[in-house]
Formats: sequence, C-alpha cells, structure tokens
Amino acid sequence: MSDDGKKWFKLNLNSKHKQESSSACGCGKTSGGCNSHQKEDFNEEEFFEAAVDASIGDERKKDGFDQVFDVKMNRRSAFKKLTASLLIGAGAVTTSCSVTTGKDDKEKAQIDWEEQFKGNYKLMTDDEKSGTVDRLVRSYQLRTGKTISMSSKNAAEDVLFGYAFNISKCQGYMDCVSACVEENNQDRNSQMQYIRIHEMDNGKGFNFNEADDNYYHEVPAEGHFYMGTQCFHCDNPPCIEVCPVQATWREDDGLVVVDYDWCVGCRYCMAACPYDGRRFNWSKPEVPEEEMNRNQHYLGNRMRKKGVVEKCTFCVQRSRAGKNPACVEACPTGARVFGNLLDPKSTIRWVLENKKVFRLKEDLGTEPKFWYYMD
Amino acid sequence: MALFISSCKHQENEYHSITDKIEAKSKDYHGVSVSSEPYFGDIDLIKISEDGQSFLIPERKGNIKSYACTECHTKPLKQMQSKDLKKAHWNISIKHAGANTMNCITCHSSNNMDDLHSLTGSKIDFNKSYKLCSQCHTEQFKDWKGGAHGKQIGGWAPPRASLTCVNCHNPHNPAFSSKWPARFNTQKIKERK
Repeated sequence: MSDDGKKWFKLNLNSKHKQESSSACGCGKTSGGCNSHQKEDFNEEEFFEAAVDASIGDERKKDGFDQVFDVKMNRRSAFKKLTASLLIGAGAVTTSCSVTTGKDDKEKAQIDWEEQFKGNYKLMTDDEKSGTVDRLVRSYQLRTGKTISMSSKNAAEDVLFGYAFNISKCQGYMDCVSACVEENNQDRNSQMQYIRIHEMDNGKGFNFNEADDNYYHEVPAEGHFYMGTQCFHCDNPPCIEVCPVQATWREDDGLVVVDYDWCVGCRYCMAACPYDGRRFNWSKPEVPEEEMNRNQHYLGNRMRKKGVVEKCTFCVQRSRAGKNPACVEACPTGARVFGNLLDPKSTIRWVLENKKVFRLKEDLGTEPKFWYYMD
Repeated sequence: MALFISSCKHQENEYHSITDKIEAKSKDYHGVSVSSEPYFGDIDLIKISEDGQSFLIPERKGNIKSYACTECHTKPLKQMQSKDLKKAHWNISIKHAGANTMNCITCHSSNNMDDLHSLTGSKIDFNKSYKLCSQCHTEQFKDWKGGAHGKQIGGWAPPRASLTCVNCHNPHNPAFSSKWPARFNTQKIKERK
C-alpha cells in the first residue's frame, strides 16, 4: 500500500518500473524483484509495503475480531461463519451470564471466549502476546490446579540459530530422542518423536530407502553408521509458503515455528517439507501430569491440541534463554553442535568454517540451517 | 538512473544463500544479552587459552577422589608395593593404545605423583590433562578447541564452557562402549504394517 491512503493494491501490470526491475534482475529470483536493482523513484520502503500488501493485504492491520468479522463476504458464508463462532460463544455467554455458575466457571468461559477470538500470534503486539500467554497459564491452572510457566520471549537481535551434526560421532544411542520427548511434552500415546536416528549401511551413503529408523539392538552395530534428522529450520522453508492461514513462519532468529492455535490442520506443510520434519496430532496429545515439562514457550512445548501440526523448534523455550536444545545436552557422544551463526566466535561457526560440511537435499534451495560433518 | 548496489537482497531479509546472510548479518555483531553462566550449576570452571581460543573447562583436581596423590604416596613406589599396605588402584587396567605404546608411566611419574608429565618429561597439571592427550590426538585436539569435538556446558550463549577430554573419556579406557538404544517406538511398527 502506498502512502496516498489508497485501500487497494494495484498490480501495475504495464508499469514501467515493475517490468524493468524484474527483467533487469540478474539474481535469478523473480518473486518480489530484487532490491538492489530498484529505481530510486520506487524506494525500498514503498516496495516492501507493496510486497507485504500483495501477500497478506489487510490482514496485517487487523487482528482478533477484525480478522474474523471485518471481511467482505456474501450472506451465506457470513451466516456460516457466525453460526460456527456463535455456537462456541453461546456456550461461553450462558456460563458467564448465569447466576448459578461459580466464579471459576465464569473466568474459564471468559478465557475461552478471548482465546477463541484472538489473532494470529505472528501479528500480535508484545502486550497481546503476554495476554494470551497469561490466559493459557490461568486456564491450565483452573482446569488442573497445577501451575506452569509460559514464555512469549521474542527473537533476540544478532541471533540466528544453527545446528551441526557429526555423523562420525553419532552411535545411535537415541538419548537425544528421549530427551526431546520429555522436554517438548510430545504425545506419549502415539509415541510422537521429532528426531529420527537412521541406521545406515556403511558404503551405501545416505540411502534412506534402506535405512532403519526404528532399530532395537545393541548399538553401534557392526557395519553401520548413524545420522539424525529433525526439522532443519530452513532459511527458505517451503512449509511456510504453503500454509493457507499463515500459522507457521520463520522468526527473526531463524526458528521456524507454528502457532498451534491458528493451525487448521490441513497438513499442507507436511506435504511440502522435503525432510519429513513435521508431525501431526491425530489424537489429543497427552502427557502424564508428573512428566509434564512446566517450563514452556507459546511457540514451543506448550500442550498442543488434536488436529494440529507440530515439530522441532530447536527447543525455543531453552534456546531463547541461552541454553542448548535438549537433544544437544543429552547427546553422550558430542555429535550435536548448536549455536549462534552470527557470532563469529561461536563453535557452530568454527565447524562451518573448518570442517567439511554438507546439508541434505541442498539442491532444493531450502537452505537448511542444519549441517552434517565428519571428523 | 542510479541503481543502489548493496548486497543482493530479495525483499527484506532474503539473500542468495544462507552463507551470504550469515556473512552480511554478522558483520556488525554486537553480542547477545543472554548468558550461559546461570546454567553452569556448581561446576568449578577454569579458564584456558590455546592458540587464540580461550574458554572454560571444568576443574579436575577437586573431582579426583584421592587427590592429592602424595597424601598416600609418601614413600617411593617400590616400598608401597609391599604386602602389608592396603591395596589401591587394583581396578585400573589400561585399555588405551597397546602395551607397546603406553603404560602407567607414559602419563604418570613415579617421582612426582601430583602431576602428569608429557612425553618429553615436562610437567602437566591434572587440571590441564588435555595437554597430555593432545600429544597424540592432534586432530581431536584441534576439533575440540574449535568446538567440533566434545560437549558444551550450559548453553550456546557466551561465555563458552566445554567439557575436557577426561569428562567423557576414561583416560585408562577411553573408548565408548556399545549399549542398547534409549528407546524403541512400538507405535511406529504398528503404523508401518
């Protein structure tokens, strides 16, 4: 949207500068054009505005109620949307207005109401973020009588998380998998695991067709090597492009995250991920109360719902606090290295600069921030 | 008609490759506000500097049960091996290189029990035992200094603290033994049937 207050975005198909900028760009990418070739009369700020508008349009300025109600639609779809929301709302209203229900029930209903109509986490201000986190903590307390702590800590400046995995060191002990399940409150019934450790035959390279990711024998087994996969937190993640509701995105510190409350469970992202990095909750995830990790983050290990997608977040609740992800801490062989890619003195940078590193399916252009290396 | 030539960005925060992005963005790196220090727990750490890389490693002497050695080793070894004295170190057997290459006195000295010594006989403090290992394991030493070998203590945030060789490897039997995996996924078996 340009600054003249127009409420629409013009495609400018015949416009001079648009055509020139795309044809003059030698950078290979066509989407959005290339900033370095922009003429001065269409400056960076305007261009960014236009690009944002073209992709998410009005949504970025609207939040919560507005996103739901302030859209043009015909009567039929309006009624459909209203009845769906009203069914939920009606329940909340009857409980909150009734004189006979207790104080806790009213508060619960109030929380449910506000949670139902909250906006996308990505678009929330810091106040709104802490608001929803407070509601979720209170809601959990009202329901279970137990307290949890939940953070909404944002990405820090000068941080870009990266990961390196030493395939010469991994022995296939799977301590990382256990630590991950415990840290991230993954569903125990379906035995969901973000990490897969693949047992590969020596001399056959990365042959996933013949690899076994669910072995149970003494390891390391003769004639095999081990390598782990999980979400690679691509810098150009195909999964976020396909999300129809923008419930998954890349944060400024490079973490690819999911808003579990905004996810509609279409699983497009799972289809788009070339690395099998995402998992779907076919049933309501359950974790025994005594095994629950109470140190949570909104974008990380808080309890998920049935029918939403989740995945490794590099333990956002730990990494944003300066700790290593649980898998890194648990690995007894030191095969896992984690750190800040922007810190020239970090160990991850040393690995990238001094070891021979490679990534999976590099040719796809997904730019995973997860490198493999050997001794 | 002036074009602005900066790094070749596509929209905001988009670079040709992640390496370009890392290079461009780390040029004016100012450090981070989080620190690993709260996660060090009660481990005693000492600072070491090797070839321009300095970081923390755990203090060792305090964790050796019967250090200082001279508390028992008051007499020359020959006299201590007599039958009337209590046996010690009977459970240590060396599974490290071969007998041709190594025995007790490759690292320990009979005339100064409280320190280790290098191949050429110069003194090495127990706290800096990595200096001993690095005499043969030069590649591992290089990787450890850089951070490609070994494990970090605390977290990724500075200051960097790393476990030292003997925190993971028993110097008398340094190899990792085989074991059973930590878990087995029975659900996966069912799903794939």
